Amino acid sequence: MKAKHFALLTLLLAVALLLAACPAQPVAPAAPAAAEQPAAPGVINLQLMGWASSDAENVRLQEVVDGWNAANPDIQVTLNLVPDYDTKLQTSLAGGAPPDIFYVDSFRLPDLVAAGALLPIGDQMTDVDDFYPSLREAFTVDNVFYCPPKDFATLALEYNTDLFDAAGLAYPTADWTWDDLRAAAEALTDKDAGVVGFAINPDFARWIAFLYQAGGEVTTPDFSAMTLNTPEALTAMEFYVGLVRDGFAAPASDLDSGWPGEAFGKGRAAMTMEGNWIVPYLKDQFPNLKYGITELPSGPAGKATMAFTVCYGVAANGRNTEAATKVVDYLTGPVGMKAWTDLGLAMPTRQSLREGWLTMYPELEPMLSGAEYARKWQFRPGFADVLDTINSGLQEAFGGLKTPQQVLEEAQAVGEQVLAR
Amino acid sequence: MATGIKQQDRQDAIAGWLFMTPALFLFAFFVFIPIFFAIYFSFTDWNGISPPTEARFIGAENFRVLLLEDGIRRADFFKALKNTAYFSLGVVPMQTALALLLAVVVNQRRLRFKSFFRTAYYFPSITSSIAISMLFLFLYQRNGLVNQVLQAITFGLWQPIAWMADPRGLFHIIFGWFGLTLETAPDWMRANVLSLPVWDWISGPSVALMGIMLLNTWTTIGTMMVIFLAALQDVPREVYEAAEIDGANSRQVFFGVTLPLLRPTLFFVVTLGLIGTFQVFDQVYVMSAGGPAKTTLTVAYLVYRNGFTNSQMGLAAAIALLLFIIIFTLTLVQRRITEGKKE
Repeated sequence: MKAKHFALLTLLLAVALLLAACPAQPVAPAAPAAAEQPAAPGVINLQLMGWASSDAENVRLQEVVDGWNAANPDIQVTLNLVPDYDTKLQTSLAGGAPPDIFYVDSFRLPDLVAAGALLPIGDQMTDVDDFYPSLREAFTVDNVFYCPPKDFATLALEYNTDLFDAAGLAYPTADWTWDDLRAAAEALTDKDAGVVGFAINPDFARWIAFLYQAGGEVTTPDFSAMTLNTPEALTAMEFYVGLVRDGFAAPASDLDSGWPGEAFGKGRAAMTMEGNWIVPYLKDQFPNLKYGITELPSGPAGKATMAFTVCYGVAANGRNTEAATKVVDYLTGPVGMKAWTDLGLAMPTRQSLREGWLTMYPELEPMLSGAEYARKWQFRPGFADVLDTINSGLQEAFGGLKTPQQVLEEAQAVGEQVLAR
Repeated sequence: MATGIKQQDRQDAIAGWLFMTPALFLFAFFVFIPIFFAIYFSFTDWNGISPPTEARFIGAENFRVLLLEDGIRRADFFKALKNTAYFSLGVVPMQTALALLLAVVVNQRRLRFKSFFRTAYYFPSITSSIAISMLFLFLYQRNGLVNQVLQAITFGLWQPIAWMADPRGLFHIIFGWFGLTLETAPDWMRANVLSLPVWDWISGPSVALMGIMLLNTWTTIGTMMVIFLAALQDVPREVYEAAEIDGANSRQVFFGVTLPLLRPTLFFVVTLGLIGTFQVFDQVYVMSAGGPAKTTLTVAYLVYRNGFTNSQMGLAAAIALLLFIIIFTLTLVQRRITEGKKE
């Protein structure tokens, strides 16, 4: 009986191996097989993976890629825009078959660099110095420029002109200070109408602009120590939280909205601070809204804003890294970059394209100008813990459950643990 | 003759194995092997990005960080465990009781439109959890339906709240009525136990978490009701008739006859509920992403967050393993309790 069971198990195992082997073989080497086929000699097929954006952007990117494919019959690029991007990218990297070219968010870069997933190709790009220094910095880790920025967005101050007119206030300008912002927010707040002056979320990615405007820093430049226990950080935290506690500002959830842009569009907030992404959103959802855009106000230490940017990364263990690098150079080069950013939804990362772009989109000048003094949204691997702690603390501070001092103390402590890892 | 039977047995055995083969393969590939790897990764520092072969074996370091080392990772783990426990303590009794009630109601012989009610109660269970969660986000807004109904039935006394953005704990709110806040709390409440202040341990579920609890209860009662309904229809008519002849009123029939006969089903439903609530993820993912102030951070969501946004897949696997041990232990304990009552 034992022997029979054994025979049966052997049979099962054989079937299992057979089944397991069958699908694996044709699937994995499909790409190189196509590339090495004698029928189409020398044609390299590349996959470019990104996240799906608005329809207009998806179509435009496909056009840019089609342009490359038509001009380069030997290197054919397939655009693959996926939902749930981070999970998909991570599993394909771990699975050892990453796409040849993929989007990398500046915040995510340190994790990917630490994992050795990225090939440093930044310095092989055409006219590297043409990229804004602040954006090159966003993809530089330990003095290595990993990947060229695809486009970028900066935070600016959006204001509802109708509400400003109704209150008889002058529109915000680039010369505004924190005091001007606070005074205007107070004047524009109308409790009975359910309107606040300023829509801000308990979000580190917004508060940090105020931190820099106050002259504070999150860490020392070499990431050796946290610096959130400084008076500058406290000033910024007290100002930000104070706006909400005093009732002149409110988070989106208090304004029956999913995000501050929606509250602003609905006219529930007279001002908000968002990046370029708010422009197509407002045009689409609130076409009748009259609003203006200006730079963020200056704090005690001057101007600061945040740059959110994405680069084209090339996988370190990709099969055709040389061809992939060429494609990236085209996409971020003067021609490809112009074709992509002329749509107006994303801003060119090359200084040489600034003037041409501004003649088409003069109203977005404050956002483009932010590139001159914007800070990068990037820290160290594992910094998501600090991000969560500050977001969580801001939520409690908005609700009056924690003081600004307590929020900073906790973030400082968590940050020290992360840096010590 | 004897050999004939043996022959038959062998053929049956082969046929049996063959019939089971497809299911066994699925089980092996999608359950057994992943479990094995999850256990292996929980002892490594795998970041989830580089190929798994590059993961370094670090022994029980992940478990030490989660259970013994004072820091953010232990604090987050126990915060998630606390939230999940409150979630489970609220949802399991509520869904079991309501499901039983509904099952008894739709099981009545004289009820009209029986199939309509059965369908209506079951409907939330078969609707996509993601779609329902999105819908509830609107209902829970400050000017949403939930607040409007509460205002209507309290004649305007109810102050509208933004449910999903409210981190206040239920018990904290109640303590507040009696003047007990963090400022007035005795010192021992501010002491840390397992990296969390006692005051945080006794917070109760936050308003946001209660929002998800209500939603979760509503979507799960349907399935539980169907299970109870099946069991109720298995109860022999004669037992009820005997009870009636003995002069039992309907309350006595329910507690003296129906409930004892439903005990195995009750165990099943509570077990399903426990497992389901300890693994709650999708609704948190859609509605709150662990916020506000980490009060809806559940263990399953923490696993996801560590694995996919913090690049700590090894740590995530360790948390998943701990979660498995917790659920397993709870089920054993609960089985002991139900069996003990039987004897």
